[in-house]
Amino acid sequence: MEHPILFISLILEKLGLPIPHGPIGNTFLEKLCEPYMTYTWFVMIFLVVVGKLTLSNIEMIPGKGQNFWEMIIGGMYDFFNDNMGTELTEKLFPMISTFALYIAVANLIGLIPGFMSPTSSINTTLALTLIVWITHHAIGFRAHGMGYIKHFLGPIPILIPLMLPIELISNIARLLSLSIRLFGNIMAKETLLGILFMLAGAYFAPLPIMLLGVLVSLVQAMVFVLLTVVYFGQSNEHAH
Amino acid sequence: MAKLSTEMVHLLGNYGHIGFTFVAAIFIGLGGGSYLDEHFFDGRTSPWFTFIGLAFGIGAGFKSLFDILKTPAAKSEDEGGKSN
Repeated sequence: MEHPILFISLILEKLGLPIPHGPIGNTFLEKLCEPYMTYTWFVMIFLVVVGKLTLSNIEMIPGKGQNFWEMIIGGMYDFFNDNMGTELTEKLFPMISTFALYIAVANLIGLIPGFMSPTSSINTTLALTLIVWITHHAIGFRAHGMGYIKHFLGPIPILIPLMLPIELISNIARLLSLSIRLFGNIMAKETLLGILFMLAGAYFAPLPIMLLGVLVSLVQAMVFVLLTVVYFGQSNEHAH
Repeated sequence: MAKLSTEMVHLLGNYGHIGFTFVAAIFIGLGGGSYLDEHFFDGRTSPWFTFIGLAFGIGAGFKSLFDILKTPAAKSEDEGGKSN
């Protein structure tokens, strides 16, 4: 399939930086210039600049920009509070809300021609998932000490040989399912859009898929955050 | 209409990942068992750990289904349904 036109890659190529022609580069500089890396930075810069522009002067009576952010941040705060308790929310709210904003923007940006979703690369989603997975074990060990192991031993001592492998497998399956679901959905969206654009772009064939793409992007960002919150809450509460 | 679509998004969020989690658990069980067979015991125990791993993987898949039913989001939905 023809390589899509990515304007950041074009700009970097004009600047003389090496752009990898395959999915991954060989040298360190090529790895830094991979499209999903450059678009990750783009999303980061976008979020910082938009936040700075809309929230530079916070007022008692909010304007348009502040209202928007208050609605989003307030909604997320209430949602986390309901699902994992105030103590954990106070501690982890910055991390999870950053994940939510980053994933939502990164998913949606792929719908604009000339951009790609950084989340359509398994490297990005696996990195996000590893952070979540390690953090939820860290929360568990911090809350219960060594007693956290009881989470993996099932309800009755006799059933330990049966329950331990099952619990371990289902715990590692979280790592796999969380990363591959986000990656698969977004990559499918990107690939489908690319193919339809190539086949019948002049007849607006990608439009219905773009409409679905908005839904998929938001739902997948929500699923990721919801599961993160659920995992954090589960490892914080007592073993059954 | 707005209520319906938010409800659909919530349902997709809570239950849209059932299939994937189930399959991932089975494949991890199968892969772990096959790894034990081929690399840890050098093929001496050849089919057995694969089958045991597959069984544990299927068990883990069902366990993750029960876990999804026990999440707080599913619980609150259930209670909301009862009060209506």
